[in-house]
Amino acid sequence: MLKNNLKIAYRSLKKNKIYSFINIVGLALGIAVTMIIGLWIADEFDYNNHFENKDRIARIMQHQTVNGEVHSNETIPLALEFQLRDQFGDAFTHIVMSSRNNGRFLSVDNEVISTRGRFMQADAPDLLNLEMIQGTRNGLEKINSILLSESTAKTIFGNENPIGKSVMSNNEHAMEVTGVYKDIPSNNSFSNLQFLMPFKHWMNTRWSWLENQDTNWDYNSFDLFVELSENVDLTAVNTRIENVKKDNDPRGDKFDPRLFVFPMTDWYLYSQFENGAQVGGRIDNVWLFGLIGLFVLILASINFMNLSTARSEKRALEVGIRKSIGSTRRQLIHQFLSESFLVVLLAYIIAIGLTLLSINSFNTLAGKEVVFPWLNPLFWGVSILFIILTALISGSYPALYLSSFKPIKVLKGTFKMGRNALLPRKVLVVTQFTVSIALIIGTLVVKNQIDYSKDRPIGFESSQLVQIPTSSQEFQNKYEVMRNQFINSGVVTQMAWGSSPSTRIWNYSSGYEWDGKPLDFDESLAQMGISYDYIDALEMKIIEGRSFSREFTTDSSAVILNKTAVAYMGIQNPVGKYIRETEPGPNSVPMQIVGVVEDVINESAYEPVSPQMYMFGSGYGGFYYLRLDPDKTTSESLATIEKIYKANFPNLPFNYDFVDEEYAQNFIAEERIASLSSVFTLLAILISCLGLFGLTSFVAEQRTKEIGVRKVLGATVTNLWMLLSKDFIILVGIALLLAVPLTYYFMSDWIEKFSYRTDISIQVFLIAGFGAMLITMITVSFQAIKAAIANPVNSLRSE
Amino acid sequence: MNTKLLSLNLASRTVNSGSNKVTLLDKIDLQVNEGEFISLMGPSGSGKSTLLNCIGMLDSFTGGGYTFLGEPVHSMKEKNRSKLYKEYIGFVFQAYHLIDELTVLENIETPLLYKNIKSSERKALVADMLDRFNIVGKKDLFPSQLSGGQQQLVGIARALISKPRLILADEPTGNLNSKQGEEIMELFSELNKEGVTIIQATHSESNAAYASRIIHLLDGKIISE
Repeated sequence: MLKNNLKIAYRSLKKNKIYSFINIVGLALGIAVTMIIGLWIADEFDYNNHFENKDRIARIMQHQTVNGEVHSNETIPLALEFQLRDQFGDAFTHIVMSSRNNGRFLSVDNEVISTRGRFMQADAPDLLNLEMIQGTRNGLEKINSILLSESTAKTIFGNENPIGKSVMSNNEHAMEVTGVYKDIPSNNSFSNLQFLMPFKHWMNTRWSWLENQDTNWDYNSFDLFVELSENVDLTAVNTRIENVKKDNDPRGDKFDPRLFVFPMTDWYLYSQFENGAQVGGRIDNVWLFGLIGLFVLILASINFMNLSTARSEKRALEVGIRKSIGSTRRQLIHQFLSESFLVVLLAYIIAIGLTLLSINSFNTLAGKEVVFPWLNPLFWGVSILFIILTALISGSYPALYLSSFKPIKVLKGTFKMGRNALLPRKVLVVTQFTVSIALIIGTLVVKNQIDYSKDRPIGFESSQLVQIPTSSQEFQNKYEVMRNQFINSGVVTQMAWGSSPSTRIWNYSSGYEWDGKPLDFDESLAQMGISYDYIDALEMKIIEGRSFSREFTTDSSAVILNKTAVAYMGIQNPVGKYIRETEPGPNSVPMQIVGVVEDVINESAYEPVSPQMYMFGSGYGGFYYLRLDPDKTTSESLATIEKIYKANFPNLPFNYDFVDEEYAQNFIAEERIASLSSVFTLLAILISCLGLFGLTSFVAEQRTKEIGVRKVLGATVTNLWMLLSKDFIILVGIALLLAVPLTYYFMSDWIEKFSYRTDISIQVFLIAGFGAMLITMITVSFQAIKAAIANPVNSLRSE
Repeated sequence: MNTKLLSLNLASRTVNSGSNKVTLLDKIDLQVNEGEFISLMGPSGSGKSTLLNCIGMLDSFTGGGYTFLGEPVHSMKEKNRSKLYKEYIGFVFQAYHLIDELTVLENIETPLLYKNIKSSERKALVADMLDRFNIVGKKDLFPSQLSGGQQQLVGIARALISKPRLILADEPTGNLNSKQGEEIMELFSELNKEGVTIIQATHSESNAAYASRIIHLLDGKIISE
């Protein structure tokens, strides 16, 4: 029976080519979109699954309250490690202090490569379950040891055995290779960990003044990873460690620090905190795209239902015959479901093809490395379930509807669908266009918000500005020499140094006093060290006072504030006033405010500017900023700069970034969402239009006789075109009325999360509405006009 | 061979058309024995088709009694009724009503599929039928590739395949030329001789003459036999 049903289904598809094409291709597009989104979601959830013990890995974080606002930070102070080891050793199988992810130049002889990795305590290989290819997991015990990833070892040593060999780190420290581990794959928090060096080595070189200060609570600069003991309850551990910092830090009360264990399973998707509460994170996008995928699939299924029922007058006769020669209703339902099963199956096969064709472009667009899971039984299981489910859902309505026909009615030829039969179809079309229009509006709002943030004044001239990292110790005391050489070369018009990227904050500080400081005010000021000429080189705007100047020897203890800082600190007439440390050290002197500058975006293009303090800095450890001569070509300038750089630092690779490109990175996440949702919206519209196209062609065919009669009676092509298009235009109009308030509600909610945001303008709705109408008109008109210009003699004869 | 196949006892059918009650069949009394060949005659609208449909249980009487093979059809539930007609009745239509997507062979086979008959048995039955109607050479053609007469032949073969006791034919030759029509009528007489009961509705005197019994209808009433 099934074989027979499938055979009939196949023939019926073959016979109605346009209908089948619309159905199958529309559905295939829908499935492909759902499949890609599904793979993307699976990949998101797969993050960190590489680690077998991921359920037990965690990091220690802290909530701190500053001026009534709770901030949740990943980094913790040094002393915490010892407290945890002493008091709570039973709760953890591994406790590993770590640096943040760091860049290091590794070199052997004169070959230098730029790598990223971490400085971690000895248990790190166990915690991360490193698969050692050479050496053992104990490789971090000696202070000058280094573990390399397989690919890094290969790049440096080729086929030689690296164990016991020496590698220079940043051309300063000779490290002995004690092990090689298998590369950690992508899609996890430790992917691309190219080296591991001992935490103690980092402390000795980078934090030497903290040597032997195990009880120092002052610097929230370290990562602390743990592996929980088996069968330990997370909430119980949280209660135990919550007040460790508060109770032990002599100044612990100040920001009400509350410690907590943040499990690895939450790191990626649930990493956002708001006022001390976990409020989601990337999971929001997962939901968003999951919803879009579902919508697109529903759109495609609706096409199938609509076209099937639209064809029902044709199929009705067949139903009548079959019933009169002995078919039961149940057998007919089976037949129609087999048909929908076949359609879905074909569509699914095409969808796999489409997915394979587009997966690379998708990966580029989404910044992913999703591969097609040929060998994943789960994928195929879900696929089969999906095919059956989609076939059932999209086939159920036609199956139930068509099989209900009374044979006598359809055989007599008096069968006409009542007005009621049209209603579900109309509802489905309205649903389809509501979703499509909602997607158009949503995408436009996202795009507008991104453009609005991009157009936000950044506060300096970011084009033709190059930044060169100066983290190696070799840059020490080189600043003036380098500056002279660069400027004398003629390709650089101005040069300066800054301790962090110009649009990022690497350091916050507090503990200051100034005249008029409000009581109980806990300031948190972004801090950056800059050289002379920084403000000039970046073309920042001075509002009051002046920049740091070589003419004032006292400027080494001067300070420049941004506009926001002046307002934040409440200083009237700031220039000339002093800022002092609350607990001055032996060498500290009051800092005089010499200038106020216009705000530079320093946190995110979507957030308000943080109050920022520019102090005079030393010229090493951050970045050189080079303003290129606009009259020279960029490539020529870069070549000259590289030559000078290489002459001075032959052992360091020449790394640089254009500041404007670096700034553009800020928008990547949102732009990805925007471009992905644009693509999906386009596909949704395409699918809806395919359906509409099919529907119109059936309606036109159905009304051939009516059109013929009307034409004989004198109707013009325009009259007929209006007649056929009107109904659909009305439906799209209703969809528009539904979509506008719906999207306004949801998008207002979405845009709320940006502090710096645009309004949802009326234009967005106008564009979406006008666009939807136009697309409908074009789609519908094609068939309508074709029917309207046909010779009535033919259509009347054919009845 | 005088078993009673069906009997109608004051059977009527009325429908509401707007606010008017329209009587399509008016107190019909009719006994049909097995092996009869009956022609229903009468002008358009006289109720021939309605009577056939009601006897075939595709439609139902709204009054009176209908007994088929001793079972009271008028008091049966829809489900049992359709079970009954599927078992014992075959339909032949004026417009053939073959399924366009199926070949000749498949069209004939379809009723057997609905009866869940095994594949091997099906094949044998269909082969016999093709043989008998001399259409073996056309078994893989689709209805659109056949002439009207050939299509009706297939329609009759399809009606016969499930071995019905009664064949109901509504204007079986209405769409055919006279020669094709004659052939169909010859076939009906042959079938009748083999014991199949046939009731046909027709406009044609000559076709009606093939029957052993002619019933004239007018305005839903039997006016003569």
